[in-house]
Amino acid sequence: MTTTGELVAAVHIDAPPETVFPYFTDAELMVRWLGTTAKLDPTPGGVFAVDVGDSSARGTYVSLDPVHSVAFTWGMPGSDTLPPGGTTVEVTFTPVDGGTLVTLIHRGLPAEHRRSHEEGWRTFLGKLTAAAVGGRSAS
Amino acid sequence: MPEPAEKAVSAAAPEALSADAVFKALADPHRRQILHLVQLSALPAGQIAAQFEITQQAVSLHLTVLKKAGLLTERRDGSRRLYQLRPEALRLARAVLDEFWPDALARLKQAVEADHPRGDDPQP
Repeated sequence: MTTTGELVAAVHIDAPPETVFPYFTDAELMVRWLGTTAKLDPTPGGVFAVDVGDSSARGTYVSLDPVHSVAFTWGMPGSDTLPPGGTTVEVTFTPVDGGTLVTLIHRGLPAEHRRSHEEGWRTFLGKLTAAAVGGRSAS
Repeated sequence: MPEPAEKAVSAAAPEALSADAVFKALADPHRRQILHLVQLSALPAGQIAAQFEITQQAVSLHLTVLKKAGLLTERRDGSRRLYQLRPEALRLARAVLDEFWPDALARLKQAVEADHPRGDDPQP
C-alpha cells in the first residue's frame, strides 16, 4: 500500500442522526444533496452509484451501522487513477447539541506530496477525477 | 476579485477561470500529457506535437482547448508561439477539489434542515 491521502470534512446539522443517516442510504434523499440520480443498495457489498451529468461515482457499501456510521467505496469507471472501489469514504454521525455532527473522511486518495512530476501529475489528476466525479453540479 | 487582468503576455488566457472548463480540458489523456510536457518550460507547438503520434492538427486543437480553459499561456518568441502551463488554473482546480466534500456536506445540511424544519422555540 502506498502512502495515501485523505480528505476530511465535517458539518453540524440541526437534526438528529436518525434523520440525517438516511440521506446516505436512500437514493431519493441522496440526490437532494449529491448527484442527480442514485442507485443505492445499502447493505455491505451493495451497490453505491451516483451520477452527476455524464460523470459517475461507483462503489459499494463497505459497512453500515445505522445512525452511527456508514462507509462506501468511491471511484470512476474507466479511470486508472481512481478505479471504482479505489478509495473509501467513511462517514460518522455523532449526536451533538440535539443535532448531528457529520464527519466524513475520504481515504485512499493518491498521496500528493511527491517530488516526481510524473507522480505528482498522476495523483493530482486522480484527485481531480474524484472531484469531477462528485460533480460540480453547481447552479 | 478586483485583480488587474493578467498581462498581455498571456493574451490568450481568459479573464475568468471556469472550474467546469478546467475539468473538461483535463478529461482527455492527450491534453494531460501536453500539460505535463509544458509544466516546467514553455515549448513551441511543433515540439509538443513531436511527442505524440496524433497529427499536429489534433495537437493544435488540444492546445486550443487548453488555452480556452485557461490552463495554458501562449506567448510569441519571434515567429514561434510558446506554450506553458498556467499554474493558477491548477490551483483553482485544486481549490475546487478541496471544497468538494465541504460543499456537498453544506448541501446536505441545507437539505436535511429544509426537509425537517425545527423552529427556534422547542415545542413542548
